[in-house]
Amino acid sequence: MATYIARRVLWGIVLIILVSALTFLFFDILPSADPAVLRAGRNSSPATIAHIRQELGLNRPVYTQFFSYMKNIILHFNFGYSFYSGAPVLGLIKDRLPATLSLTVGAAVIWLLMGIPVGIISAIKRGSILDRVSMGVALVFVSMPVFWLGLVVLFLFAKDIGRFHVFLGANTYVGLTSNPARWFGSLLLPWFVLAATSAAIYSRVLRGSLIEAMGEDYIRTARAKGLRERRVIWRHGVRSAITPVLTIFGLDVGALLGGAVITETVFNIPGIGRLNYTAIVQSDFPIVQGTVILAALFIVIANIIVDISYAYLDPRVRYS
Amino acid sequence: MRGSRNLIALAVTLLLAAGISACGGSSSSSSSSSGGGSATTSSGVKAPPLKPGESINGQQLLGKKKGGTLTVLSNGDFEHLDPGSAYYALDYGIIQATARPLFSYPPNSATTLRPDLATTIPTTANGGITDGGKTITVHIRSGVRFSPPVNRAVTSKDVAFALERGANPNVGNAYWPAYFGAGSPAPLVGSTSASYKGGPLKGIETPNNTTLVFHLTKPGAAVFISALSLPLSAPLPKEFVGPLDKHAPTTYGTTYLVSTGPYMIQANSKGKIQGIGYQPGKSETLVRNPNWNAKTDFRPAYLNEIKFSIGGDATVIGQQVLKGQSSVQLDTVENSIVKQAYQQYPSQINFTPGSGDHYLTLDTQHGVFKNVNIRRAMWAALDRMAIVKARGGLLVATPGTHFIYPGVNGFDQAGGAAGPQVDFNKNVNGDLAVAAKYMKAAGYPSGKYTGKETTLIVVGSGGNGPAIAQIVNNAATAIGLHAKVSLVDQSVMYSKYCGVPKQEIDACPTAGWIRDFADPLSVLYAPFYGPAIVPTNNSNWSQQNDPAINKAMAKAALINDPAAHAQAWANIDKMLVDQAVAVPEDFDSEANIFSKNVAPVNMAWNEGLFDFSFTSLK
Repeated sequence: MATYIARRVLWGIVLIILVSALTFLFFDILPSADPAVLRAGRNSSPATIAHIRQELGLNRPVYTQFFSYMKNIILHFNFGYSFYSGAPVLGLIKDRLPATLSLTVGAAVIWLLMGIPVGIISAIKRGSILDRVSMGVALVFVSMPVFWLGLVVLFLFAKDIGRFHVFLGANTYVGLTSNPARWFGSLLLPWFVLAATSAAIYSRVLRGSLIEAMGEDYIRTARAKGLRERRVIWRHGVRSAITPVLTIFGLDVGALLGGAVITETVFNIPGIGRLNYTAIVQSDFPIVQGTVILAALFIVIANIIVDISYAYLDPRVRYS
Repeated sequence: MRGSRNLIALAVTLLLAAGISACGGSSSSSSSSSGGGSATTSSGVKAPPLKPGESINGQQLLGKKKGGTLTVLSNGDFEHLDPGSAYYALDYGIIQATARPLFSYPPNSATTLRPDLATTIPTTANGGITDGGKTITVHIRSGVRFSPPVNRAVTSKDVAFALERGANPNVGNAYWPAYFGAGSPAPLVGSTSASYKGGPLKGIETPNNTTLVFHLTKPGAAVFISALSLPLSAPLPKEFVGPLDKHAPTTYGTTYLVSTGPYMIQANSKGKIQGIGYQPGKSETLVRNPNWNAKTDFRPAYLNEIKFSIGGDATVIGQQVLKGQSSVQLDTVENSIVKQAYQQYPSQINFTPGSGDHYLTLDTQHGVFKNVNIRRAMWAALDRMAIVKARGGLLVATPGTHFIYPGVNGFDQAGGAAGPQVDFNKNVNGDLAVAAKYMKAAGYPSGKYTGKETTLIVVGSGGNGPAIAQIVNNAATAIGLHAKVSLVDQSVMYSKYCGVPKQEIDACPTAGWIRDFADPLSVLYAPFYGPAIVPTNNSNWSQQNDPAINKAMAKAALINDPAAHAQAWANIDKMLVDQAVAVPEDFDSEANIFSKNVAPVNMAWNEGLFDFSFTSLK
């Protein structure tokens, strides 16, 4: 097991290095616009642009730039400075990470609490009214774009601009440590909006997977051994059926930690996603590079954790 | 349960439908709904439908109440808070409340300069302008002090240092070359050397702590004094800022900041703002500057605190401001919100005409538009009213008819709202008969282009760029051009295509040049002065390089009599129109919304943005 983990971690590192190299290729070698001009601003003089080109090292050979870039990332986790504000990218990312973490963890808990029970019940009560209704509702939520759902819930339920003044609305996020109650209240709507689609997808995936699992021979064997149905479902059915859900969960959480762009923008939550969105709009390459590498890092970590979890969940899976 | 879900679904559907009808058809619906108050001139140019009291020039500067906290919601972030680097309207809004340049415009005037840190406006009569306009003497006020942690009194050396650092590449000031350095019509003595990158300058003397003497290489006092209203002339303490400027880029303004105005960005005891009063992309907090002396300033500074919240969806922000308390929206208001506010909350919206302009640049050096008559035909064919509608209708724009826009000196002399009375300018809805006339004059007897060349139109893909590109494409096609429209990211349009002459882009819609100050030079010189064309980051997208126009500009820049100066630039404007170096699209009017308990004051000179040192709560 330890060997397996070490191998996965090593591959993860290789993958991050590859992603870093690709971001260098796209944003430094093949940029959509001259980074020195973007950094200098719209009306800057040729002298200023030349000075910035020198400062950014853009006059140096490409391989020198590449090694310098990789060294800064790997040894110092330094992504440079924002073209727009001049602030260090790492500082901006650190500043935004707690909000994204808060949003992702809360939403993930909600969609698991909603999606898994609904998926199990639908599978067990297959064909019943409950199954049809829950799958129908799931289909509706899967079909709703997040930005649309976000605006609708704000215009319906936000305390300041909503029809029914129930929840804190956009622009109310505060850090957990500064005011826990307000932090919780401000994230309720975003959590539900973000969780709605995922919960629907998870319930549908789990339903299909569990229906298939419940038809397997080992389930029949378990029943023949006289095990209680609940134990059969949980210990033998769900445990094996949940692996595809776990795979999606790893990818989803990893991707969301890299930034829930739309949700953060609609609710004005100052997280990685909004940082990335603004940077893309402004062609602020260092921030885009930093957030892309961060997203890749989270996805790699989440997948390593998921792979390790397989062994505990599914007895058929063993690593060597 | 099913029933209640259906009800919710129905409610959501109705809400969506209502939202769509409110937002949709922005072009036609907004113009028709607001047409009641609009007047039409003889040339068919419609004036904005402002109600009495909505005009920026009529606003009350007296505050309603002292104290309180204003919340400012802004979709976009600030770019530079350092007065030496700042160059955009949002940044100027902060600097107006935190810094004291030598001269300023009061919020209700776009054209009347007044002393700020200086004691008087230098004139020949008061001895401030001597040597035929080559020497300017400015006296500054006593009793102005820097905010903590600097705390000491401001001296003339602080102003000199602030101006000189404009040439420091680590500061990257955008207008130093144009008004003070080598690119200026009247540079400061010693500033034109290629090796000059800040530091003591021969052209700036400080004989004592309250006097500055500026020496210019040419007699350009009028423009130079106007340029001293820019944030670069706000004093800075060298002992605090100098070490920060050694960093590339400077960390002054991003990490540390001190103030001289009534407000300061909340900072720690070392003057650090980042992570305290300023969190890039998130928030900013202005608090009172404890060292500000009201007796030295014309700003009343009613508010105790101003909190900026950055980011969010523009339609949500609009609703929050209109339905909430003590808040304003800082940046451009969504068209659907403008319409809603105008119809449902008329006391919570105002407009500032003269907030800018847009035009379609035509490459005068290459391709089909090298021919002046094809340029005139393009002008005649373009439906400028359609562009106004695409921008949100007559509430926020009127058809452009020339290049000096309302609120800039020389606008009236250049033709006012109707513009020069040439036939290709007359019909703002587009006139294909006139277009055909000029195509014939260009050598196409059918009245349409019959050549093979493709006309490349590059436009920013955001906002109303695609809609305007379509209107431009229609005009080009109407005169027979083989137009190819390329939609690219806005920054890519600037830095890779339209601002790079060798790319030979035939037409760039949605260009514009916002005034740096009320002088017409600041809207015509950079975008149309031939000798200023550079290979990258070029501002003269039309590549206008007519020797007669260039000569007239160089001469007009040195005229110091205000009336003659304005007339000279108005004449240049007419020359630019005659040569059709670009096609005016619209004159902008900025819409601002605010909560019902806010007494707003907007800066007529700064695109109509809120003046936080005059705005108050009711």
